[in-house]
Amino acid sequence: MTPLIEMRQVTKEYRGVPAVTNVDFVLRRGEIHAVLGENGAGKSTLTKMMCGVTQPTGGQMLLEGEPVLFRTPAEALEKGVAMVFQETSLVPSMTVAQNLYLGDEKLFNRIRGLNIAAQTFLQSMNFNVNPTATVSSLGAAHKQMVEIARAVRKNVRVIIFDEPTAALTPEEKHHFFALIGRLKQQGVSIIFISHNLEEALQIADRITVLRDGELVASDQTSRFDRDKIVRAMVGRSLSNSLYRKHSGEGARAVGDRVLSVQNVSMGNIVKNTSFSVYAGQVTGMFGLIGSGRTEVAKIVAGVAKRNFFNGGEIKLNNASVRYRVPRQAVRDGIVYVTEDRKVEGFFETMTIAENLHMGALAAGLNKTVVVSMAEMRELAETWTKRLNVKAINSNARVIELSGGNQQKVVIAKSLAQEPKIIIFDEPTRGVDVGAIAEIHQFINELADRGLAVVVISSYLPEILNLSDRILVCRSGRVVEEFSPEEATEDKVMFAAVH
Amino acid sequence: MVVDKLNQERIVLLTAIVLFVFFSITLNGFIDPGNLLSLVQNVSILGILGVGMALAIIGRGIDLSILSTMPVSAAWMLNLINDGMPIWLALACALAFVVLVGIVNGVLIAYVEVPAIFATLAMGIVVYGIGKAWLVPIDSVYIRGGESWFYAIGTGRILGVPTPVIVFAGVALLAWLFLRYLKPGRFIYGIGDNPLAARITGMPVRPMIVLQYILISIIALVAGIVTATALSGINTRVALSTMVYDVILVVVLGGIGLSGGKGGIRNVIVGTLLIGILLNGMTIMNLSYTVQNILKSVILLAAIVVDTLLNPRDEQTAQHGDI
Repeated sequence: MTPLIEMRQVTKEYRGVPAVTNVDFVLRRGEIHAVLGENGAGKSTLTKMMCGVTQPTGGQMLLEGEPVLFRTPAEALEKGVAMVFQETSLVPSMTVAQNLYLGDEKLFNRIRGLNIAAQTFLQSMNFNVNPTATVSSLGAAHKQMVEIARAVRKNVRVIIFDEPTAALTPEEKHHFFALIGRLKQQGVSIIFISHNLEEALQIADRITVLRDGELVASDQTSRFDRDKIVRAMVGRSLSNSLYRKHSGEGARAVGDRVLSVQNVSMGNIVKNTSFSVYAGQVTGMFGLIGSGRTEVAKIVAGVAKRNFFNGGEIKLNNASVRYRVPRQAVRDGIVYVTEDRKVEGFFETMTIAENLHMGALAAGLNKTVVVSMAEMRELAETWTKRLNVKAINSNARVIELSGGNQQKVVIAKSLAQEPKIIIFDEPTRGVDVGAIAEIHQFINELADRGLAVVVISSYLPEILNLSDRILVCRSGRVVEEFSPEEATEDKVMFAAVH
Repeated sequence: MVVDKLNQERIVLLTAIVLFVFFSITLNGFIDPGNLLSLVQNVSILGILGVGMALAIIGRGIDLSILSTMPVSAAWMLNLINDGMPIWLALACALAFVVLVGIVNGVLIAYVEVPAIFATLAMGIVVYGIGKAWLVPIDSVYIRGGESWFYAIGTGRILGVPTPVIVFAGVALLAWLFLRYLKPGRFIYGIGDNPLAARITGMPVRPMIVLQYILISIIALVAGIVTATALSGINTRVALSTMVYDVILVVVLGGIGLSGGKGGIRNVIVGTLLIGILLNGMTIMNLSYTVQNILKSVILLAAIVVDTLLNPRDEQTAQHGDI
C-alpha cells in the first residue's frame, strides 16, 4: 500500500544553514506518528514543509504516491493536510463559533445558527468550550481546543499537531488523546510533535526521532523505550544522577524563613493563600493551569499590576513588604524567572553579553552611572561557562539561539542580579532534554549554595525530582504541603485536582 | 555571511556615496567646497532633530511634538531677549519650558499609558497653541540688537567649519555617549527592545521614559536656538509644516527600526547625509518642492522595501531556535 505522505531526501536550508538534511519520512494511513527531537532538531521545519508553510530546498514530497509541492498552507489544506500550530492562529476578538467557521462563512451569516452548529460540533468532541465566548477571554488550554476543533472540522486526512498538549491539563489531555483515537478510527492520519516522551510512547503507533536536522530513528513504538528515545534524541545517554529521585538522599535542611506570604488575595485568581519559603531549599510549587501559582509568584516579585490586589501580607525576613514594580523586589534580592521568555524574558535584538549586562545594571549592583564594557564581557564569560550556553558566536542575538539556550540566558540574566530568593516559573518549558538536565542540576546547586529557590511547574516529575518541599496549589491557594519522602505522583495530582 | 552585512544602514550609506559621486560628475559646482559646506550646514538642524527623534524611536516611542517645541521655545527666548532680559535668564526660562513639555509628554506616556504617538501629537498642538496665545503672539520673531556670542551659534565658524555643524556633531556625540556608556542609555535600549522584560528585570521603566522625553525636548530647544541664530529669527509656523516627517525620514532611512531597540546615532548621521546630499543636489538641479517631496518619499519606500527583502521578518527567521 502506498503511504499517505512520503518525504524523500528532503532538505531545508535557511540562508545556507541546514535545518533539515536528507530526511526520508513515511506516514502511513490511519496511524498516529510521533515526531520527537530536541529543540532545533528540525521537527517543526519538517512538518511545516508537509503542510505548505515552508518549501523544501531539496528533495521531494509525495502524497499518495504523487509528487506534490505545497506553496501555501491553503493548497495543503485543499489536499487534506492541516496543521495545528504551537502559537495559536485564532482571531482573538471573535467568538469561538466564528473562529471555527472562519473562512467558510456564508454570504448571510446567521450568528445563532453558527453558535448552535458550533455547540453541537464541540460537544461531539467532548470539548467544554462555550461557542459564544470571545477567544481572547479563553485560557491557553481552551484556545488549543478551539484550534484543534477547527482542524478536525475541515474533514482533513492528515492533521499535524505541534506540541498539542503543552498547555493542557491532565484531564484535557485525556480528552485530547481520546479524540485522537477517534480521529484515527475515522481513517485520519496524525503526526504530533512533542517534547513529552511518555505521551509519545503511550499513544503513538510509530515514532520518528530527529537530531540536528537528520533522521536518527523511525520505527514502531513497541520497539522503543524511554531510554532508547533519549539516547537517539541527544546522541548520548543522560546520566541518571541528573534525574535522581531526591527522596533517596533526603531533603536539604530547613534554613531561615526568608519569605512568608499570609492571606494574600488578588481578584478571583488568588484567594487568601499563605505559605513560607526557606533559604537553602528548593520549594516546589505544583498546580494546574489556573490554580494561581504563577499569579502568587508575580505578586511576591512585584510583577503583577496591583489593580486587583486585595490585601494580605508578604514578609521578607520578617519585614512587611509590598512591591508595586519588580524594581524594588529585584533590589531586595527577589527575582522572578518568567514562564514566557519570548514575551517578557529576554531582549531579542541584543547579544548574550548585553542581556546579562542589562540584568546586572538593573539590579544596581554597581552604583556608577557610566557602564563598563569590560564588566559586560566578564559577566558573559562567567555565565556562559557556568551555564554552558552554546551560541554560534558571541555576537549572536538571543533570538537566534535554541529554546534551551535562551532559557539559560534568561536564568543567567536573573542570577547576574545576585538574588537571595529566585522564583523559577516553568524553568524547562520548551527546553530540550539535554538542557533540562543541565538546568535542573543548576537549580540544585543554587539551593546548595544557600539561596531560597522556588520552582513552579506543572510537570510533576520535575517537581518531584527537584523539591525539598512540595506545595500544591488549587483554585487560587496553597492547599497542601508534602515532604519529598511522602510525595508520590498520585498524591500530588490528587491534591491538585480535588 | 555577506548577506547579513548588507543591512539598511549600509545600503543607505552606499546610496549616499553613489549619489555623491553621481552629483559630483553631473552637477556643476556640487563638489565645490563652499557648496559642500552649505550642504552640511543645511542639514545640521534636521540632524539635531533626528538625534532627538532617534532617542524616542529607540525607546519604542515617537515624539511628534518636537517640531512645536523647537520654534516655540526658541521664539519665546528671542522675545524675552528682545524685551531686555539677559541671555542666560532667557535661556533658563526656555529650558524650564522645554523640560516641562518633556515631563508632561513622559508622564502621559509612562504613567497614564497613552500611546506615544497620540500623546505627543496632542502635546505638539498644545505647545504651539500656548506659544501663540501667551508666549509669542506673532508668527516670526527676529533678532534685534547687537553682535554677541549668542548669535554666533548659528552663523560663526570654528576652523572654517560652520558652527551649526559643530553643534550637530556635539549633540550626536553626547547622545552616542549617553546611549552607549550611561546606564539610562542602556535602559532605553532595553525598554525599546522589550518593555515587559525591562520591567521584570527591574529597570525603572517609567522614570526612564520621562527622562527620555525631557532629553528630546532639550535637543529640540538646541535645534531651535541654532535655527534662530542661523536665520536671525524664527518662524513658529514651522510647527505646522511637514518637517516632522523629514525628521522621521532621516531616522527611519538611517535604519532605526520603528519597533524599537534597534540602531543608534550612527544611523541618524547616515540618514542625514543621504537626505542632505539629495536635497542639495535637487536644489542645484532646480527641482520644484513637490518633486523633491516625491523623490524623498520614494527613496524612503525603496529603503524599507530593500531592507524587508534582505532581512525578511517572517516567523522562521524570527525564531531561529525553533527550526
